Amino acid sequence: MSLTLLAATAAGNTDAGKAIALALGIGLGSLGAGIGIGNIFGSMIQAVARQPELRGELQGIQWLGFALTEAVVFYGLIGGLLAFVLV
Amino acid sequence: MLRRLTSLVLFGLLTLPSAALAAGEEFNPEHDFEVGEWIPIHLGPLDLSINKAVAYLFLGTLVTIGLGLALMRVKVGSKNEPDRKQAVGEMVYEIAQTQVAEQGLPSKAIGRWFPYVASLMLFIWVLNIISFVPLPLSNERFDLFGVELPTLALYAATSSISVTLALAFMTFVFTHFEGLRYNGPVKYFKSWIPEVPKAMYPLIIPLEILGQFMRLVSLSVRLYANMLAGHMLILTFIGLIFVLGNLYIAPFVIGAATLFYLFEVVIVVSIQAFIFAALSAIYIGTAIEPEH
Repeated sequence: MSLTLLAATAAGNTDAGKAIALALGIGLGSLGAGIGIGNIFGSMIQAVARQPELRGELQGIQWLGFALTEAVVFYGLIGGLLAFVLV
Repeated sequence: MLRRLTSLVLFGLLTLPSAALAAGEEFNPEHDFEVGEWIPIHLGPLDLSINKAVAYLFLGTLVTIGLGLALMRVKVGSKNEPDRKQAVGEMVYEIAQTQVAEQGLPSKAIGRWFPYVASLMLFIWVLNIISFVPLPLSNERFDLFGVELPTLALYAATSSISVTLALAFMTFVFTHFEGLRYNGPVKYFKSWIPEVPKAMYPLIIPLEILGQFMRLVSLSVRLYANMLAGHMLILTFIGLIFVLGNLYIAPFVIGAATLFYLFEVVIVVSIQAFIFAALSAIYIGTAIEPEH
Protein backbone atom coordinates (compact mmCIF):
# COMPACT_ATOMS: atom_id res chain seq x y z
CA MET A 1 0.00 0.00 0.00
CA SER A 2 3.02 2.27 0.26
CA LEU A 3 2.71 2.68 -3.49
CA THR A 4 -0.72 4.13 -3.20
CA LEU A 5 0.64 6.41 -0.53
CA LEU A 6 3.53 7.57 -2.69
CA ALA A 7 1.34 8.13 -5.70
CA ALA A 8 -1.22 9.91 -3.60
CA THR A 9 1.18 12.38 -2.00
CA ALA A 10 2.26 13.36 -5.45
CA ALA A 11 -1.32 13.72 -6.64
CA GLY A 12 -2.88 15.74 -3.87
CA ASN A 13 -3.51 16.10 -0.19
CA THR A 14 -7.02 14.65 -0.11
CA ASP A 15 -5.81 11.44 -1.67
CA ALA A 16 -2.90 11.37 0.76
CA GLY A 17 -5.31 11.62 3.67
CA LYS A 18 -7.35 8.73 2.28
CA ALA A 19 -4.23 6.67 1.72
CA ILE A 20 -3.04 7.26 5.27
CA ALA A 21 -6.46 6.28 6.58
CA LEU A 22 -6.39 3.11 4.47
CA ALA A 23 -2.92 2.16 5.65
CA LEU A 24 -3.78 2.85 9.29
CA GLY A 25 -7.00 0.89 9.02
CA ILE A 26 -5.31 -2.15 7.54
CA GLY A 27 -2.47 -1.89 10.02
CA LEU A 28 -4.84 -1.85 12.97
CA GLY A 29 -6.89 -4.64 11.40
CA SER A 30 -3.86 -6.86 11.01
CA LEU A 31 -3.02 -6.21 14.67
CA GLY A 32 -6.10 -8.14 15.75
CA ALA A 33 -5.58 -10.94 13.28
CA GLY A 34 -1.94 -11.20 14.31
CA ILE A 35 -2.94 -11.75 17.93
CA GLY A 36 -5.53 -14.28 16.83
CA ILE A 37 -3.14 -16.28 14.67
CA GLY A 38 -0.54 -16.24 17.43
CA ASN A 39 -3.14 -17.60 19.80
CA ILE A 40 -4.06 -20.43 17.43
CA PHE A 41 -0.50 -21.59 16.87
CA GLY A 42 0.39 -21.13 20.53
CA SER A 43 -2.53 -23.30 21.59
CA MET A 44 -1.60 -25.85 18.93
CA ILE A 45 1.94 -26.09 20.27
CA GLN A 46 0.64 -26.55 23.80
CA ALA A 47 -1.86 -29.16 22.71
CA VAL A 48 0.70 -31.17 20.76
CA ALA A 49 3.20 -30.90 23.62
CA ARG A 50 0.62 -32.40 25.98
CA GLN A 51 -0.75 -35.02 23.63
CA PRO A 52 1.50 -35.59 20.61
CA GLU A 53 -0.69 -38.41 19.31
CA LEU A 54 -3.52 -35.96 18.56
CA ARG A 55 -1.40 -33.96 16.11
CA GLY A 56 -3.10 -35.25 12.96
CA GLU A 57 -6.59 -34.53 14.21
CA LEU A 58 -5.68 -31.10 15.50
CA GLN A 59 -3.95 -30.03 12.32
CA GLY A 60 -7.17 -29.76 10.34
CA ILE A 61 -8.79 -27.61 13.01
CA GLN A 62 -5.64 -25.52 13.26
CA TRP A 63 -5.59 -24.63 9.56
CA LEU A 64 -9.32 -24.00 9.58
CA GLY A 65 -8.90 -21.55 12.45
CA PHE A 66 -5.86 -19.99 10.82
CA ALA A 67 -7.68 -19.29 7.56
CA LEU A 68 -10.79 -18.01 9.32
CA THR A 69 -8.72 -15.60 11.42
CA GLU A 70 -6.46 -14.52 8.60
CA ALA A 71 -9.44 -13.70 6.39
CA VAL A 72 -10.43 -10.93 8.81
CA VAL A 73 -7.52 -8.80 7.63
CA PHE A 74 -8.64 -9.20 4.08
CA TYR A 75 -12.17 -8.12 4.88
CA GLY A 76 -10.57 -4.99 6.30
CA LEU A 77 -8.40 -4.61 3.21
CA ILE A 78 -11.33 -4.96 0.82
CA GLY A 79 -13.41 -2.58 2.92
CA GLY A 80 -10.55 -0.10 2.97
CA LEU A 81 -9.97 -0.37 -0.77
CA LEU A 82 -13.69 0.08 -1.41
CA ALA A 83 -13.71 3.18 0.77
CA PHE A 84 -10.58 4.44 -0.95
CA VAL A 85 -12.00 4.00 -4.44
CA LEU A 86 -15.62 5.00 -3.81
CA VAL A 87 -15.46 7.88 -1.34
CA MET B 1 34.98 -18.85 -9.63
CA LEU B 2 31.77 -20.17 -11.12
CA ARG B 3 29.78 -18.69 -8.29
CA ARG B 4 31.40 -15.31 -8.76
CA LEU B 5 30.69 -15.44 -12.48
CA THR B 6 27.05 -16.31 -11.87
CA SER B 7 26.63 -13.43 -9.47
CA LEU B 8 28.25 -11.09 -11.96
CA VAL B 9 25.88 -12.23 -14.70
CA LEU B 10 22.92 -11.91 -12.35
CA PHE B 11 23.98 -8.40 -11.41
CA GLY B 12 24.38 -7.57 -15.08
CA LEU B 13 20.80 -8.71 -15.62
CA LEU B 14 19.73 -5.94 -13.27
CA THR B 15 20.61 -3.34 -15.88
CA LEU B 16 18.14 -4.90 -18.33
CA PRO B 17 15.00 -3.24 -16.97
CA SER B 18 16.52 0.20 -17.55
CA ALA B 19 14.80 0.25 -20.95
CA ALA B 20 11.48 -0.23 -19.21
CA LEU B 21 12.42 2.45 -16.71
CA ALA B 22 13.10 4.88 -19.53
CA ALA B 23 9.63 4.29 -20.97
CA GLY B 24 8.28 6.35 -18.10
CA GLU B 25 4.93 4.61 -17.97
CA GLU B 26 3.22 5.00 -14.64
CA PHE B 27 3.29 1.76 -12.69
CA ASN B 28 -0.08 0.56 -11.54
CA PRO B 29 -0.50 -2.94 -10.17
CA GLU B 30 -4.28 -2.75 -10.65
CA HIS B 31 -3.84 -3.03 -14.42
CA ASP B 32 -2.86 -6.65 -14.07
CA PHE B 33 -6.28 -7.46 -12.68
CA GLU B 34 -8.27 -6.07 -15.60
CA VAL B 35 -9.73 -8.98 -17.51
CA GLY B 36 -10.31 -7.27 -20.86
CA GLU B 37 -12.58 -8.75 -23.50
CA TRP B 38 -11.14 -11.23 -25.96
CA ILE B 39 -14.17 -12.71 -27.71
CA PRO B 40 -17.22 -10.52 -27.04
CA ILE B 41 -20.44 -12.47 -26.45
CA HIS B 42 -23.38 -10.33 -25.34
CA LEU B 43 -26.80 -11.87 -24.75
CA GLY B 44 -29.00 -8.87 -24.09
CA PRO B 45 -27.89 -7.46 -20.75
CA LEU B 46 -25.76 -10.54 -20.07
CA ASP B 47 -22.05 -10.23 -20.73
CA LEU B 48 -20.70 -13.71 -21.47
CA SER B 49 -17.51 -12.58 -23.15
CA ILE B 50 -14.45 -14.76 -23.12
CA ASN B 51 -11.85 -12.81 -21.17
CA LYS B 52 -8.68 -13.49 -19.26
CA ALA B 53 -10.48 -14.93 -16.22
CA VAL B 54 -12.52 -17.26 -18.44
CA ALA B 55 -9.38 -18.43 -20.21
CA TYR B 56 -7.80 -19.22 -16.84
CA LEU B 57 -10.95 -21.06 -15.79
CA PHE B 58 -10.86 -23.18 -18.96
CA LEU B 59 -7.18 -23.91 -18.39
CA GLY B 60 -7.86 -24.74 -14.74
CA THR B 61 -10.65 -27.12 -15.73
CA LEU B 62 -8.42 -28.91 -18.20
CA VAL B 63 -5.58 -29.21 -15.70
CA THR B 64 -7.97 -30.49 -13.01
CA ILE B 65 -9.38 -33.14 -15.34
CA GLY B 66 -5.85 -34.07 -16.37
CA LEU B 67 -4.73 -34.31 -12.76
CA GLY B 68 -7.70 -36.48 -11.90
CA LEU B 69 -7.04 -38.82 -14.80
CA ALA B 70 -3.31 -38.98 -14.13
CA LEU B 71 -3.46 -39.45 -10.37
CA MET B 72 -6.60 -41.51 -9.85
CA ARG B 73 -6.52 -43.95 -12.75
CA VAL B 74 -3.93 -46.34 -11.42
CA LYS B 75 -3.77 -50.01 -12.28
CA VAL B 76 -4.32 -51.78 -9.01
CA GLY B 77 -2.11 -54.78 -8.38
CA SER B 78 0.09 -54.33 -11.40
CA LYS B 79 3.11 -53.78 -9.21
CA ASN B 80 4.02 -54.88 -5.74
CA GLU B 81 4.74 -51.42 -4.41
CA PRO B 82 2.65 -48.36 -5.11
CA ASP B 83 4.57 -45.88 -7.21
CA ARG B 84 4.88 -42.18 -6.58
CA LYS B 85 1.92 -41.19 -8.74
CA GLN B 86 -0.36 -43.50 -6.81
CA ALA B 87 0.98 -42.23 -3.49
CA VAL B 88 0.21 -38.62 -4.44
CA GLY B 89 -3.25 -39.58 -5.66
CA GLU B 90 -3.98 -41.44 -2.44
CA MET B 91 -2.75 -38.50 -0.37
CA VAL B 92 -5.08 -36.10 -2.18
CA TYR B 93 -7.96 -38.52 -1.80
CA GLU B 94 -7.25 -39.05 1.87
CA ILE B 95 -7.13 -35.31 2.62
CA ALA B 96 -10.38 -34.84 0.73
CA GLN B 97 -12.00 -37.70 2.61
CA THR B 98 -10.74 -37.47 6.19
CA GLN B 99 -10.00 -33.76 6.52
CA VAL B 100 -12.76 -32.28 4.38
CA ALA B 101 -15.72 -34.60 3.84
CA GLU B 102 -15.77 -36.53 7.12
CA GLN B 103 -15.25 -33.36 9.19
CA GLY B 104 -18.32 -31.66 7.81
CA LEU B 105 -20.69 -34.08 6.18
CA PRO B 106 -22.83 -36.61 8.08
CA SER B 107 -22.14 -40.18 7.00
CA LYS B 108 -25.44 -40.57 5.16
CA ALA B 109 -24.56 -37.67 2.84
CA ILE B 110 -20.91 -38.45 2.14
CA GLY B 111 -21.68 -40.63 -0.88
CA ARG B 112 -23.60 -37.83 -2.52
CA TRP B 113 -21.50 -34.81 -1.58
CA PHE B 114 -17.95 -36.15 -1.37
CA PRO B 115 -17.44 -35.75 -5.15
CA TYR B 116 -18.57 -32.14 -4.95
CA VAL B 117 -16.32 -31.04 -2.10
CA ALA B 118 -13.36 -33.03 -3.40
CA SER B 119 -13.57 -31.57 -6.89
CA LEU B 120 -14.11 -28.12 -5.38
CA MET B 121 -10.90 -28.53 -3.40
CA LEU B 122 -8.90 -29.80 -6.38
CA PHE B 123 -10.31 -27.19 -8.77
CA ILE B 124 -9.60 -24.24 -6.50
CA TRP B 125 -6.16 -25.59 -5.74
CA VAL B 126 -5.38 -25.87 -9.46
CA LEU B 127 -6.75 -22.38 -10.15
CA ASN B 128 -4.61 -21.00 -7.35
CA ILE B 129 -1.46 -22.82 -8.32
CA ILE B 130 -1.59 -21.93 -12.03
CA SER B 131 -1.98 -18.32 -10.98
CA PHE B 132 1.60 -18.41 -9.72
CA VAL B 133 2.99 -19.78 -12.97
CA PRO B 134 3.83 -17.01 -15.46
CA LEU B 135 1.65 -17.73 -18.48
CA PRO B 136 1.40 -15.89 -21.81
CA LEU B 137 -2.24 -14.96 -21.24
CA SER B 138 -1.93 -11.29 -20.38
CA ASN B 139 -3.54 -8.36 -22.18
CA GLU B 140 -0.23 -6.61 -22.76
CA ARG B 141 1.77 -7.35 -25.90
CA PHE B 142 5.41 -7.19 -26.73
CA ASP B 143 7.23 -7.41 -30.01
CA LEU B 144 9.47 -10.41 -30.73
CA PHE B 145 11.02 -10.32 -34.22
CA GLY B 146 7.93 -8.68 -35.63
CA VAL B 147 5.46 -11.04 -33.95
CA GLU B 148 3.10 -9.64 -31.33
CA LEU B 149 3.16 -11.93 -28.32
CA PRO B 150 1.39 -11.59 -24.98
CA THR B 151 3.74 -10.96 -22.10
CA LEU B 152 4.19 -13.55 -19.39
CA ALA B 153 2.12 -12.56 -16.39
CA LEU B 154 0.70 -13.81 -13.13
CA TYR B 155 -3.06 -13.76 -12.86
CA ALA B 156 -5.47 -15.72 -10.72
CA ALA B 157 -8.99 -16.45 -11.86
CA THR B 158 -9.80 -16.63 -8.15
CA SER B 159 -8.66 -13.02 -7.71
CA SER B 160 -11.81 -12.01 -9.56
CA ILE B 161 -14.82 -11.71 -7.26
CA SER B 162 -17.20 -13.07 -9.92
CA VAL B 163 -15.45 -16.43 -9.97
CA THR B 164 -15.36 -16.92 -6.21
CA LEU B 165 -18.91 -15.62 -5.84
CA ALA B 166 -20.12 -18.16 -8.40
CA LEU B 167 -18.36 -20.96 -6.52
CA ALA B 168 -19.77 -19.76 -3.19
CA PHE B 169 -23.23 -19.42 -4.73
CA MET B 170 -23.14 -23.09 -5.76
CA THR B 171 -22.45 -24.09 -2.16
CA PHE B 172 -25.18 -21.71 -0.98
CA VAL B 173 -27.78 -23.24 -3.31
CA PHE B 174 -26.78 -26.83 -2.50
CA THR B 175 -26.85 -26.09 1.23
CA HIS B 176 -30.45 -24.90 1.25
CA PHE B 177 -31.57 -27.44 -1.33
CA GLU B 178 -30.24 -30.31 0.77
CA GLY B 179 -31.52 -28.78 3.98
CA LEU B 180 -35.02 -28.54 2.55
CA ARG B 181 -34.88 -31.98 1.01
CA TYR B 182 -33.74 -33.82 4.14
CA ASN B 183 -35.67 -31.88 6.78
CA GLY B 184 -38.65 -30.28 5.05
CA PRO B 185 -39.20 -26.53 5.09
CA VAL B 186 -40.65 -26.13 8.60
CA LYS B 187 -38.03 -28.14 10.44
CA TYR B 188 -35.21 -26.71 8.35
CA PHE B 189 -36.04 -23.04 8.86
CA LYS B 190 -36.71 -23.69 12.53
CA SER B 191 -33.21 -25.13 12.85
CA TRP B 192 -31.76 -21.74 11.92
CA ILE B 193 -33.01 -20.21 15.15
CA PRO B 194 -30.85 -20.98 18.19
CA GLU B 195 -32.36 -21.73 21.58
CA VAL B 196 -32.93 -18.34 23.13
CA PRO B 197 -35.74 -16.78 25.20
CA LYS B 198 -38.76 -15.89 23.06
CA ALA B 199 -38.30 -12.19 23.80
CA MET B 200 -35.03 -12.24 21.88
CA TYR B 201 -36.64 -13.54 18.67
CA PRO B 202 -37.18 -10.16 16.93
CA LEU B 203 -33.47 -9.51 17.33
CA ILE B 204 -32.19 -13.00 16.60
CA ILE B 205 -34.27 -13.98 13.56
CA PRO B 206 -33.16 -11.14 11.25
CA LEU B 207 -29.58 -11.69 12.36
CA GLU B 208 -29.71 -15.41 11.59
CA ILE B 209 -31.24 -14.78 8.16
CA LEU B 210 -28.58 -12.16 7.48
CA GLY B 211 -26.00 -14.65 8.71
CA GLN B 212 -26.99 -17.15 6.04
CA PHE B 213 -26.27 -14.54 3.38
CA MET B 214 -23.09 -13.42 5.09
CA ARG B 215 -21.79 -16.95 4.56
CA LEU B 216 -21.98 -16.25 0.84
CA VAL B 217 -19.96 -13.08 1.31
CA SER B 218 -17.41 -14.51 3.69
CA LEU B 219 -16.82 -17.63 1.60
CA SER B 220 -16.26 -15.69 -1.61
CA VAL B 221 -14.43 -12.68 -0.21
CA ARG B 222 -12.01 -14.84 1.79
CA LEU B 223 -10.68 -16.58 -1.31
CA TYR B 224 -10.89 -13.52 -3.54
CA ALA B 225 -9.13 -11.17 -1.13
CA ASN B 226 -6.43 -13.70 -0.27
CA MET B 227 -5.47 -14.22 -3.88
CA LEU B 228 -5.81 -10.54 -4.79
CA ALA B 229 -3.70 -9.42 -1.86
CA GLY B 230 -1.08 -12.10 -2.53
CA HIS B 231 -0.65 -11.10 -6.15
CA MET B 232 -0.81 -7.41 -5.36
CA LEU B 233 1.90 -7.79 -2.73
CA ILE B 234 4.28 -9.54 -5.12
CA LEU B 235 3.60 -7.06 -7.93
CA THR B 236 3.97 -4.11 -5.60
CA PHE B 237 7.33 -5.26 -4.31
CA ILE B 238 8.67 -5.81 -7.81
CA GLY B 239 7.09 -2.54 -8.91
CA LEU B 240 8.96 -0.60 -6.24
CA ILE B 241 12.01 -0.79 -8.51
CA PHE B 242 10.13 1.09 -11.19
CA VAL B 243 8.33 3.49 -8.89
CA LEU B 244 11.49 4.57 -7.11
CA GLY B 245 13.52 4.25 -10.32
CA ASN B 246 16.40 2.73 -8.42
CA LEU B 247 18.01 -0.53 -9.46
CA TYR B 248 20.07 -0.98 -6.31
CA ILE B 249 17.04 -1.83 -4.21
CA ALA B 250 16.31 -4.69 -6.64
CA PRO B 251 18.07 -7.42 -4.61
CA PHE B 252 16.02 -6.53 -1.54
CA VAL B 253 12.64 -6.18 -3.17
CA ILE B 254 13.11 -9.25 -5.34
CA GLY B 255 14.14 -11.16 -2.23
CA ALA B 256 11.05 -9.97 -0.40
CA ALA B 257 8.85 -10.74 -3.40
CA THR B 258 10.35 -14.24 -3.61
CA LEU B 259 9.64 -14.81 0.07
CA PHE B 260 6.02 -13.79 -0.36
CA TYR B 261 5.79 -15.90 -3.51
CA LEU B 262 7.01 -18.96 -1.63
CA PHE B 263 4.67 -18.24 1.28
CA GLU B 264 1.73 -17.99 -1.12
CA VAL B 265 2.61 -21.09 -3.13
CA VAL B 266 3.49 -23.31 -0.18
CA ILE B 267 0.86 -22.28 2.36
CA VAL B 268 -1.88 -19.94 1.15
CA VAL B 269 -2.76 -21.76 -2.07
CA SER B 270 -3.44 -25.08 -0.37
CA ILE B 271 -5.01 -23.58 2.75
CA GLN B 272 -7.52 -21.56 0.78
CA ALA B 273 -8.53 -24.51 -1.39
CA PHE B 274 -8.85 -26.68 1.73
CA ILE B 275 -10.84 -24.05 3.64
CA PHE B 276 -13.27 -23.44 0.82
CA ALA B 277 -14.00 -27.14 0.47
CA ALA B 278 -14.10 -27.77 4.23
CA LEU B 279 -16.49 -24.89 4.89
CA SER B 280 -18.70 -26.01 2.00
CA ALA B 281 -18.82 -29.47 3.54
CA ILE B 282 -19.60 -28.03 6.98
CA TYR B 283 -22.37 -25.79 5.62
CA ILE B 284 -23.98 -28.61 3.66
CA GLY B 285 -23.52 -31.00 6.60
CA THR B 286 -25.15 -28.71 9.15
CA ALA B 287 -28.05 -28.09 6.78
CA ILE B 288 -28.63 -31.83 6.39
CA GLU B 289 -28.26 -32.59 10.08
CA PRO B 290 -29.01 -29.53 12.20
CA GLU B 291 -27.48 -29.63 15.65
CA HIS B 292 -30.75 -29.46 17.54
